[in-house]
Amino acid sequence: VSVRRREDGTIVLADRCPVEDAEPLLQLLLATPGAWVDWEQCTHLHTAVLQVILAAHPPRRGPCGDAWVREWLPAL
Amino acid sequence: MNALHEQFVLEARELIHEATNDLIGMEREGTSPERTNRIFRAFHTLKGSAGVVELPSMVLAMHAAEDLLAAVNTRKIGVTAAMIDQTLGCLDQISRWVDAFEMHGSVPADAGEHAEAMARRLRALLANIAESPSVGLDHQTPATPVAGPLPEWISRLLGAERQSISRHLQQQPSMLFAVSYEPRTDCFFQGDDPLALMQAIPNLLAIRIEAREAWPALADFDPYSCILRFVAVCAGNRDDLADVFRLVPDQVQIVEVPVEALPRQGAPAFDGGTLDLVRAIVEEQRLVLTASGERDDLTGRAGAAGRTAANALRHGRLHHLAEPVEGAMETTVASVDVAALLSALDGAVAFLASDTEPAAASDGRTVRAAEPEAEAAGISPSRSPRVNEDRIDALLNLSAELIVAKNAVVHLARRADEELGAHDLARAVKRESETIERLATEMHEAILQLRLVPAAQVFRSFPRLVRDTAQRLDKKATVVTQGETTEADKTIVGRLFEPLLHLVRNVLDHGIESSAERRAAGKPDIATITLRASREGDRFVVEVGDEGRGIDPEAVRRKARERKILTEEDLAALSDEHTINLIFAAGFSTATEISEISGRGVGMDVVRTTVEQLGGRVSLTSRVGVGTTVRLDLPMNIAMTRIMAVEAGGQVFGIPMDAVTETVRLRPDRINRIKGNEGFVLRDRVVPICSLADLMNLPASPNSGGATRLVLVLETGGKIVAIEVDAIRDRLEVVLKPMQGLLSNARGYAGTTLLGDGKVLLVLDIKELLP
Repeated sequence: VSVRRREDGTIVLADRCPVEDAEPLLQLLLATPGAWVDWEQCTHLHTAVLQVILAAHPPRRGPCGDAWVREWLPAL
Repeated sequence: MNALHEQFVLEARELIHEATNDLIGMEREGTSPERTNRIFRAFHTLKGSAGVVELPSMVLAMHAAEDLLAAVNTRKIGVTAAMIDQTLGCLDQISRWVDAFEMHGSVPADAGEHAEAMARRLRALLANIAESPSVGLDHQTPATPVAGPLPEWISRLLGAERQSISRHLQQQPSMLFAVSYEPRTDCFFQGDDPLALMQAIPNLLAIRIEAREAWPALADFDPYSCILRFVAVCAGNRDDLADVFRLVPDQVQIVEVPVEALPRQGAPAFDGGTLDLVRAIVEEQRLVLTASGERDDLTGRAGAAGRTAANALRHGRLHHLAEPVEGAMETTVASVDVAALLSALDGAVAFLASDTEPAAASDGRTVRAAEPEAEAAGISPSRSPRVNEDRIDALLNLSAELIVAKNAVVHLARRADEELGAHDLARAVKRESETIERLATEMHEAILQLRLVPAAQVFRSFPRLVRDTAQRLDKKATVVTQGETTEADKTIVGRLFEPLLHLVRNVLDHGIESSAERRAAGKPDIATITLRASREGDRFVVEVGDEGRGIDPEAVRRKARERKILTEEDLAALSDEHTINLIFAAGFSTATEISEISGRGVGMDVVRTTVEQLGGRVSLTSRVGVGTTVRLDLPMNIAMTRIMAVEAGGQVFGIPMDAVTETVRLRPDRINRIKGNEGFVLRDRVVPICSLADLMNLPASPNSGGATRLVLVLETGGKIVAIEVDAIRDRLEVVLKPMQGLLSNARGYAGTTLLGDGKVLLVLDIKELLP
């Protein structure tokens, strides 16, 4: 799984985040509301994962590792 | 009917009208949360008020429709043509019940059955659609390029991304396309990754991702149900774009965006959506300010309202309006007096109101096509007191009597002068009577103003009508209305409906080509019908224009020959322009087949008759292959008629001035006798002479021997004729009263009016009199 929690509580998205990552990401966000999401190492976001981020709107660390998302959805 | 019932009828009609417009808009441009919500609310309110006035059958039908719309509103089901048809049908039924309720205080006895049948149909629809959740309208609506206004989602995206898009176009001019992609909620289970499709769009210029509905609480959120909507603008060509979405054609809408639609830098964004929105926000702030509240919190409210309004104005790139609003806000906060800010907001609203109209008109299409009454959509309409029409008419009658009474004073002045020789007194009375005349006329005009209603009242039914008729004919057409704020007397506006209906049906039936023909001619698939109202001097001009196949003068000539509308010589002498106007002649039809829609061409005859009864004229211009425009030239008011009082056979008659082109004194040698009829030559035309005394079966005056004779030259219905009279008396402006009682069916009379000396003057309808 490309979604995990680091020791400091930050939720990390790494590499390609496929559709299956949506559910664990949501569970992590539900468990710790307000937790940071680090997506610098994420090279590809599936729509379902993106949708969870849109819905929860957690604070983000770093620019998104997915170049397309960085370029076209800077306000995300 | 008590006040509650009256209020219900008024309110129901408004709600029906709004919901109808929104449903049509939804079908044409797709859904938006605001729109579906508006429709839902209209049905909900209708249901509620039907309950209040105790109409259970109406409640039953509305309840089923409401359930259906609630499902649409929460995106449980998509919008289908069948759903729109059924809900519109439901509104039609409700509208008929409201009419019946107004007339009889109850709905027809069979209303219950109808209501149950309708509820069943609506519920069946709910069940059907629920099984196939993503049946969307989208695949049938795309119009390329869009005729009329851009859908709101496009203008919003264009507005926000204007700079980057125009920069790209400057470097590399190309076609622009907008894409709206609403993936099915279960798309993740199909293995779809909508974002990947968006990433595959070639030459992407702007993209936005939004939720189709409000985000649920995170705990209730289903991560595998897609509720996103993607909108994007890109350059390039349509095929490449369509190729990206080839597997999801039912979920995507592709629209070509005319480059002109891009808001220009520096210039105010003249897209109706933005300006209407800005105006709505500014007006809202005005409400916030005037809402009753503690004086203490005024400072806070004024600050918030002022800032919001200024921001909205800046968003619409109206900086010159934003600054005064901010200045006034500071004054208001300092002085704890709302006056300054209120007047600044009023100024901004007035500018927006005036600015949206001409700007929209200048590009030939108004934003109103989509929402016939944009101001009704989100902006509180100006509230004017509802006054019973009868009271206005009573006032009008009184003011008319006053004008007549004034005429009597003039008469008295003349008597004082002639019979008593009191010249000074006569002059003084005359002077005073002039003052009274001025005041009476002003008052009369002011009261006439009360009867003015905007052309929108008659235009508003047409978007719906055109939609239904076009659907039945399997054609595509949209209505663009212009100048709907132009006002005219309510009688005129009210009676315009029938002629406009015939004209629009004729356009749809005969004027507009089939889709295949249109494509072959290089015309857009969707035909545009323009309804335009305007003021020209004191005339109220309404035009119906289409860009269809035009009218072929040769075909008209052939038909006129077959139907013996005119003799062969007369036909040969007519120019093409005059020839095509023959379609208004009685018993004329250019359609090869008689159709259900526009009948046998009697419609055009009705158009002419109705318009002429209102004191107007009909004319038509057309170019083959390019289109046709029918122009109805009407008076603004019908209450005052200018007449000429004439004597014939020892009696006095009134003749409407608009029929008289000139008066001529004829020496006996100018008169020729042709086969027992008299006539004379006027500017190379032979004008037959009829004696008015003969026409009225009165004894001819004996002195018509060798003296000069007096005739009025009249042009009516395309014919020219001279009416001989014994003398011409006064020219008067009178209020014509229709013939009443036993005389109401008498032919030849336009009506009666009271003269200054108390005599009744019969005013003739020359057209009916002539043989």
